Amino acid sequence: MIQKNEHNSTGYNLLSLYGKHVDFCEINLEAPLKIIIVSVNASPGGKGSGFHLYHKLPSIVPESCLLILVGLLLGGIIFGAEEKSPPVMNSDVFFLYLLPPIVLDAGYFMPTRLFFENFGTIFWYAVVGTLWNAIGIGISLYGICQISAFGLTDITLLQNLLFGSLISAVDPVAVLAVFENIHVNEQLYILVFGESLLNDAITVVLYNLFKSFCQMRTIKVIDIFAGIANFFIVGIGGVLIGILLGFVAAFTTRFTHKIRVIEPLFVFLYSYLSYITAEMFHLSGIMAITACAMTMNKYVEENVSQKSYTTIKYFMKMLSSVSETLIFIFMGVSTVGKNHEWNWAFVSFTLLFCLIWRALGVFVLTQIINVFRTIPLTFKDQFIIAYGGLRGAICFSLVFLLPPAVFPRKKLFITAVIVVIFFTVFIQGITIRPLVEFLDVKRSNKKQPAVSEEIYNRFFDHVKTGIEDVCGHWGHNFWRDKFKKFDNKYLRRLLIRENQPKSSIVSLYKKLEIKHAIEMAESGMISKVPSSVSLSDYHEGKIKPLSPTEMENMREILTKNLYQIRHRTMSYNRHSLAADASEKQAKEILIRRRHSLRESLRKTNSLSRERPAAANTKRFLSLPKNTKLPEKLRVRNKTSSRVGDSSDSELDASTTVLNLRPRAGKILRDQRLRQQRPLPEFRVEWKNEVDGSQDGRGEQQDPSTLPQPSIGFRQPLLTRPRFGTLSREDLTADHGSARPMPPPRLVRQASQGDRQRNKPENQLY
Amino acid sequence: MKKSGSITSPSWSDKFSQGLFFGLFCHEMCFLQFIWVSHSQITRLYSRFTSLDKGENGTLSREDFQRIPELAINPLGDRIINAFFPEGEDQVNFRGFMRTLAHFRPIEDNEKSKDQNGPEPLNSRSNKLHFAFRLYDLDKDDKISRDELLQVLRMMVGVNISDEQLGSIADRTIQEADQDGDSAISFAEFVKVLEKVDVEQKMSIRFLH
Repeated sequence: MIQKNEHNSTGYNLLSLYGKHVDFCEINLEAPLKIIIVSVNASPGGKGSGFHLYHKLPSIVPESCLLILVGLLLGGIIFGAEEKSPPVMNSDVFFLYLLPPIVLDAGYFMPTRLFFENFGTIFWYAVVGTLWNAIGIGISLYGICQISAFGLTDITLLQNLLFGSLISAVDPVAVLAVFENIHVNEQLYILVFGESLLNDAITVVLYNLFKSFCQMRTIKVIDIFAGIANFFIVGIGGVLIGILLGFVAAFTTRFTHKIRVIEPLFVFLYSYLSYITAEMFHLSGIMAITACAMTMNKYVEENVSQKSYTTIKYFMKMLSSVSETLIFIFMGVSTVGKNHEWNWAFVSFTLLFCLIWRALGVFVLTQIINVFRTIPLTFKDQFIIAYGGLRGAICFSLVFLLPPAVFPRKKLFITAVIVVIFFTVFIQGITIRPLVEFLDVKRSNKKQPAVSEEIYNRFFDHVKTGIEDVCGHWGHNFWRDKFKKFDNKYLRRLLIRENQPKSSIVSLYKKLEIKHAIEMAESGMISKVPSSVSLSDYHEGKIKPLSPTEMENMREILTKNLYQIRHRTMSYNRHSLAADASEKQAKEILIRRRHSLRESLRKTNSLSRERPAAANTKRFLSLPKNTKLPEKLRVRNKTSSRVGDSSDSELDASTTVLNLRPRAGKILRDQRLRQQRPLPEFRVEWKNEVDGSQDGRGEQQDPSTLPQPSIGFRQPLLTRPRFGTLSREDLTADHGSARPMPPPRLVRQASQGDRQRNKPENQLY
Repeated sequence: MKKSGSITSPSWSDKFSQGLFFGLFCHEMCFLQFIWVSHSQITRLYSRFTSLDKGENGTLSREDFQRIPELAINPLGDRIINAFFPEGEDQVNFRGFMRTLAHFRPIEDNEKSKDQNGPEPLNSRSNKLHFAFRLYDLDKDDKISRDELLQVLRMMVGVNISDEQLGSIADRTIQEADQDGDSAISFAEFVKVLEKVDVEQKMSIRFLH
C-alpha cells in the first residue's frame, strides 16, 4: 500500500495522509476516489441547498435515507464505470475517524440532567435489552439454520450468536437522523438515544466475546464469567477514562484565558484522546467519548470565552454533519458490489426476528421497569422506543470486521445486515412520523375552530408548564444533591476559573442582558409595549360579527404570535444550534415583566395616595393589587453601555424606586424620602400615566422619561441571585434594616454580592 | 392542624419535628380526600418545597417562586405564582402548596364513580376549570371582563400585535363565549366554551398521580 503513494493522483494522496489505516489495496483508485471525494464535497453543500430547498422532503424522508440513496447512485456509477466493486468502507476509517465526531456531538449536547434522571431506565434498556435481543436473535436464527431446507446448516450456534449480537446494536447515528423529524417528548428522546449510546459497551463485549469463542476450541464456564466481568470492565473503564480526560480538559481550560484562540482545540483534542485511549485498551471508546463530552460540557462552558464556546459548538456540528454524510454515502456505495450472497430464508428471518425480538424486548422490559419509575411509560412510548430501534453504520462496520477465515458465510451476513439496515432506515424511518401522529390523534371533532381555541389551548399549556416547573418536574434526588454538593465544594473550585458566576443561568441572563441592553438603548423598544392605559379603553357598542376571512386572519395572527411553550430541552437538531426564537421570546417576556414590576412598584409607592381601587388593576399588567412585590434590581456599572452615566443624576429627583443606586440602603432611603415628598410630584407622575399621551408630559418629566426606557434596559432584566446558593447570612443581614415598604429581602443582598463579581465580566472579549 | 406554617426561625429540632409531622398531616390530608396523592409523591414534593424554601421557615414567599428560572420566562409566570397564595397572604405553607398542585392531578377512571356524595375532589374537571378561571379573573368578580382578557392576551402574545388587533381578538373571544350579552365571560360560559377541550388532559401532570 505504501508504494502506491508515489504514483497516484492527488485524490489518493489526500487519503494517504490518514496513514496506514486506509487500506484500499488491489484496487486502482484514481478515478473512483476522485468521484467520491468530489461528490462528498458537493453533497454536504448539495445537501444543504438541494434537500433543504424542497422543504417537505426532509420531513417526509429522513436525511439518512437520502444520503444512502446518493451513495447507492454513486456506487452504481462506479460499478458501472469500473466493472469492479467500489471501495468498501473500511472499518478502521469508520471507527477511528467517522464515528467519534458524531458521538462527541451527541454527547456534548446531551441534556445531562435528563439523562441522569432516566439513567436507570436507559441502562436497563441498553444492557438487558441488548442482551435479550442478541441472544434471542442468535438462538432463533440458529433454530432456523437447523432446518436443512434452507441450506444454512453450516452456521454454528456461536456464529449465530455473534451475528445476533452485532445486529442488535441500535445505532445512535440513525436514531438521531430519524428523530430529528419527529418531535417526541424529551424523555422519550433521551431514552432511545441514551440507550443507543450505552449499548456500545455491550455490543463491543459481546462481539469480542463471541468472536474469540468462535476461534477457541473449547469453552469453559469460566470463560463465560470472564465475559461478564469483561463487560463491566469495558463499560466502566471507558467511562472512567472519559471522565478523567474530561477533568483534565476542564483543568486545562482554567488557565487558558491568555490564549483564547486555541481553547476549542483542547476540547476536541481531549475528547478524541479519550476515544483513542479507550480503544487502545480495548475498552468502549464510545462510552469514553460520551463521558468526556458530558464532563467537559459542564465545566469548560464556564471557562472558555463566549467566542470559543460558539466556535466549539459550530465546529462540532460541522464535523458531525460531515461524518454522518460520509457514513451514509459509504454505506450506499458499499452496498453495490459483488460481496453479497443472497439467501431468502436467512435474510427474511433475520429481519423478522429483529423486529419481533425488539418489540418483545421493549414490551417485557417496560413492564418490569415501570414498577420502578415514577412516570410510567405508556403504550405509545413503548411503541416509539421499539420502532425507533434503528440499525445503522455500527453493525455495518462490525460485520465487515468479521474474519472471513472463521466465517465462511461472511457474505451472507453482509447481505443480511444491509437488508436490515436499509429496512430500518428507510421503512421505519419514513413511517415513524405518520405512525406517531396517528397514535396521537384524539377523538376530537373538527367543528369550526374558534379563534379563542388557540388562545385557550396555549393558555392551558403555559399554565401546565409553569406548574411543572414549580414541581421541579422529577423532583429531587438524593444522589444528585449529594453530587451537587461535592461538585460545588471541590470540583468547581478546582476546575473553574475564579471570578466566574457560579450558575450558568446567571451567565445566560448576563448574555441576554448584554445584547439586549444595547439593542434596547438604540431602538427604544419599550415604546411598543402598550401602556396600561390603552388596555383599559373600553369599546362601547356592539361587537360586529366577523367574516370567515377575518377570522382566518385572526387565527393566523395568533398562531404566529402566541408565545411558544418552553421546551425543557431543545429537541436535538444536527443542523442547527440553539433556539434563537425562544431566546427572543424569553427576552420579551422578561422585559415586560420588569416593566410591569417597575410600574407596579411605582404604584405601590403612591398607592397610599388617593387612588381608586379599580384603577390599580389597570396598572399592573400581571398582578392584582394586593401583591407585595419584591424589588428586583441589580445595578451594574456597565460603562460599556451606550447611555451615558450622566443621566443618573438627572433621575434623582423624580424617578421611582428603580433608580440606579447600587446600595440597598440608599434605595430604602430614597423610598422613605419619596414618601415624604410633596404631593405635586406624584400627581405629575400620575398624570403622566393616566394621560398616556406623549404630549401631556411636564417638562420636568422629559429627562426622566426619555432616558428612562433606555436606562431601564441598561439595567439587568431581572436579578439573578445565585440559585440554590444563598446562604443564611444573606438572610440574617436583611433583618437588620427597618423597612417601610415591601421588604426586598435577600434578593438584593445576593445581587450586591453578585455585583462585585460581575465587574470582571465587564470587559467584552 | 399540626405544624402548618407559621414557623419563623426553626431550630434543628423544629425541622426534625416538621419532617416527622408532615407525614402525619399528609395522612390527614389523604384522609380528607381532598388531595389523593401517593406517598412517594408527597415525599418528593415536600423535598421540592423545602429546597425552594430558602428562608427555611416552612413557608414559601413570592420570591421563592420567582427564583425558579423557568417561571421567569413563562408568560403567565406571575399569575401562576399568585395562584398559590391565598387571598391577601404572602406566604404559603406546604399544605397550601399541595392544595394548589392537587388541581393538576390526573383524573383516574376509577375515581369517577367513587364517592358521589363526598366533597368533590380538587382535581375534578370543574375544579380545574375553576382554577384556570381564577387565573384570568383578578378582581374575583366571577367574570372575565374584556380588560382582564386583554391583559392575559397581551401577556401571551409577542409585541408584534398591535393594540387594535389584540382588542379585536379579545372582542371576538368574548363574543364567542358570551351568551347573556354582558360582554364578559362568566364561569358558566367559560365552562361551556371549553366543553370540547380536553381539560382533564391539558391540566394534568402525569407524575402527580
